[in-house]
Amino acid sequence: MPLAQQSSSVPVVVDDDKCIADKGCTVCVDVCPLDVLRISDQTGKAFMKYDECWYCMPCEADCPTGAVSVHIPFLLR
Amino acid sequence: MSAFEPFEQFDEVEDIVDRLDDPDPGTRRVAVMDLADSADPSAVTYLKKALGDEAREVRLQVALALAEFDGPETADALVVAVVDEDAGVAQAAADSMAELKDPAAADPILPFVTHESAFVRAASLRALRELKRTESLKPALDAFGDVDATVRSEAISVVGYLKTEDALPALMSMLKDVEPAVRRTAAGALGFSVTTAAAEALAQSLTDSDWQVREIAAETLCKVQSTVAAPALRAALTDEYWQVRQKAIRSLGKLGVAEAVPEIIPSLDHDISNLRKEAAAALGEIEAPEAIPALEAHLDDPDPDVRKNIRWALGRIRSE
Repeated sequence: MPLAQQSSSVPVVVDDDKCIADKGCTVCVDVCPLDVLRISDQTGKAFMKYDECWYCMPCEADCPTGAVSVHIPFLLR
Repeated sequence: MSAFEPFEQFDEVEDIVDRLDDPDPGTRRVAVMDLADSADPSAVTYLKKALGDEAREVRLQVALALAEFDGPETADALVVAVVDEDAGVAQAAADSMAELKDPAAADPILPFVTHESAFVRAASLRALRELKRTESLKPALDAFGDVDATVRSEAISVVGYLKTEDALPALMSMLKDVEPAVRRTAAGALGFSVTTAAAEALAQSLTDSDWQVREIAAETLCKVQSTVAAPALRAALTDEYWQVRQKAIRSLGKLGVAEAVPEIIPSLDHDISNLRKEAAAALGEIEAPEAIPALEAHLDDPDPDVRKNIRWALGRIRSE
């Protein structure tokens, strides 16, 4: 039986089709107070590198293309 | 070697501008975002040029970016964006335009007050409000007869911000507008005046058919600082909406209308704690000794804010 070594889902999800990080945009990385977002070397798109989210939302609100969505756990809503 | 050497020295704007001609709209959009971040006034010229971009998202980003700048040149670019065929771009431009602070920015906007689109007229007036230029008075007064209610409301705000007593008759006439939202703005805009004429007009609005108009009229009357409206305010204490009564009580307290004391006291028993709180404060402000028994009877009100106001009022009356 395969063991899950890493969590497969993170709260901050980036829509790669909408993300324009490969064009030079770094808004979400810049606004994150916990500095947990990065631009991927492979895809050139933004992604959540460390799962330490505060659910503070600026990444979602400030994304110019609306590519970022933050999934707030049900119990925090 | 000079005494001051910056860490980095490069012409940031020039560097970014090259990217505005990139074939990819995403790259152009990021270039616009970078221009906004540069905070360099020379960026405005390039932003204005970028408003001719074929991609909607680039123009939208320009409209948003222009909020970071001020002055006539910025206004000149924003009036181009506010008439954009795309509603999103136009709305972003209207919002950015309302952020302008430099009075000189009014010049490019003034001609748009008579634009054929109601949206553009309203956006221009909204931008002119805070710029407080006397030249906006005439076009704003003309817009009082506009077919669109939003335009009339924005025009009233422009005149209210200018605070000229000459415009009072026109402002007072707007208290009779067919649209409640317009009457509400007019009632609020009269607050700058200290004339009895304004107080009398507001007193009439205390019997308006829309309760929010009555509420704003009651609230504004304490700013007008005239007791002509006292009888009308006392009559408003029997209004069916507690919100209107609350504002009337506040104004009666601020104006120190001692005759209203017996009419305010029953509000100390009302279900809404906000109303009880306001009544206690007004009774203290009027400093009426005859209110002491009623106030003492409510010393144990369930709401802490009301208890606090009652103690404050009693302290004030007794220190006489």
